[in-house]
Amino acid sequence: MLAAHLAPLAASFFSLLAIASLLLSFVMLGSRWLKDYLVAFALQSWLIALLSAAVGYYGGYHELYLIALLTALFRGLLLPYLILRIIRRLNVDRELHERLSPSSSLVVGALLVLFAFVVATHLGSSLGLAGTVAVLALTVMLSMKLIGFLMLVVRGEALSQILALLVLENGIFLGSQILVPGMPLLIELVILFDLLVVVACFGVLVRFLVMHAGTSSAHNLRRLVG
Amino acid sequence: MTRDILLQIAQVVTVLALAPLLQGVILQWEERVQRAQGPGIFQPYRDLWKLFHKQGVVPETASFIYWIAPVVAFTCMLTVPILIPVLTNFPLPESDMGDILGGGLILTLGSFLVSLAGLDSGSAYGGVGSSRAVMLGILAEPTLILVFVGITLLAKAMLPFVVNHLLVAQPAVYWSPAHLFLVAAFFILLLVETDRLPIHSSTHIEVYMIDEARILEYSGPLLALLKWASWMKQFILYTLFSNVFLLPWGLSVQGRAAGALGAAVALFGKFLVVALAVVFIETAQSRLRYFRYQEPLAASFLLAILAIVANQLR
Repeated sequence: MLAAHLAPLAASFFSLLAIASLLLSFVMLGSRWLKDYLVAFALQSWLIALLSAAVGYYGGYHELYLIALLTALFRGLLLPYLILRIIRRLNVDRELHERLSPSSSLVVGALLVLFAFVVATHLGSSLGLAGTVAVLALTVMLSMKLIGFLMLVVRGEALSQILALLVLENGIFLGSQILVPGMPLLIELVILFDLLVVVACFGVLVRFLVMHAGTSSAHNLRRLVG
Repeated sequence: MTRDILLQIAQVVTVLALAPLLQGVILQWEERVQRAQGPGIFQPYRDLWKLFHKQGVVPETASFIYWIAPVVAFTCMLTVPILIPVLTNFPLPESDMGDILGGGLILTLGSFLVSLAGLDSGSAYGGVGSSRAVMLGILAEPTLILVFVGITLLAKAMLPFVVNHLLVAQPAVYWSPAHLFLVAAFFILLLVETDRLPIHSSTHIEVYMIDEARILEYSGPLLALLKWASWMKQFILYTLFSNVFLLPWGLSVQGRAAGALGAAVALFGKFLVVALAVVFIETAQSRLRYFRYQEPLAASFLLAILAIVANQLR
């Protein structure tokens, strides 16, 4: 496994990138503005692209360069652009009625990180990986997934929910880059196109929602229509 | 041995003598950034001189707490410099009286007595100020403890001297995410604890005042002691931030007189760097609404947690 046998400098570089992307998902959790979410997501994608390039360099996986390029283009430019278009069209630029205030969700998010930390440490010690960057990657992956779920639960705006899904996916992608760097190229491509389809579908759904329910917030959808 | 004792006294005297200067520099720079002239950097000394020569007025309702609070607060601030690396990077004779947590305990004791004094005279403003200060304390203390836990995990010791040595000796640790996040978390705490924006307001006597409201009943020499104590607290926190966290270089290694003098000058130079950042934030940031106080502190808590998580690599 690559992550278990890294030079100290590379390990600290990987951990810096992973922790910085975790921090960016907290920016989303701590802000009320949809634009902030978007910028944080784009930056996070760029960091992950950098991470896959670094894994490719240190591990000798040349196809990861291509994946890094595609990640930066798709996740860092195309998806934020599409979401920005939806934001512009919707006339909604912030979360108005959040279920949990940003500061409380920051603290809940921190507790989730601690939970992920405990789980990852247990896994790491039972696999004999304690003290390597693999445990850190596992922690960051789990906590980004949990933060994505938390955002899905506490945020009402449809756009926040798209971004929460994307953060969740970013977490999985980040973890897989460090933990199993040799994934076949085709799977990565499939995931990227999947995301594109997700965002496009969400765009259509949000327009439908605005047209028929007059709102883009999930809080106002209380009636089941059969 | 005599030299070490002299150095220890010199540490306390440094804090005592330079604390008003730091406050003066920050106040002047803030005005200069806003293109005003500002008071001279020695204005806090003149204020102290003026207050010590004034007559004190004591409220009729005040009890003995009113009298002891300034003295205890001042003594606490005189005690903490014994424990932390102000001038030398090696422990002096009494430095092992307490670790970082012990220093934090003494700092909090001073603040606690000032809060009691605010409640003591029964004035409305004192009560409001004390309740706000305690509220902030409730939010800030857990983060402070977490930062200390983080630094303990980093250095495997709770003594500030060990942390200082580790950071100087190993650049890899200095640049590790764990340490950088601890620096960021402590910086937010520094802003909160030293009476700065975004929580405290920059103009002092107004409705939203916190620390100023607690000491509103004081006048004359007791007020001078309280003010001096709060400036010393600021100086001590800046010392911890720069000598233990951010800029651990430039301390006296051998403990000669010239080295100690150079360390004092270097310390003040570091403070100017930190003060520049503080002035920038005070200028760029507006004061937060009362019910948003928890936001910077939640961010600080989070950074401390991230530091602890990032720490597992080592």
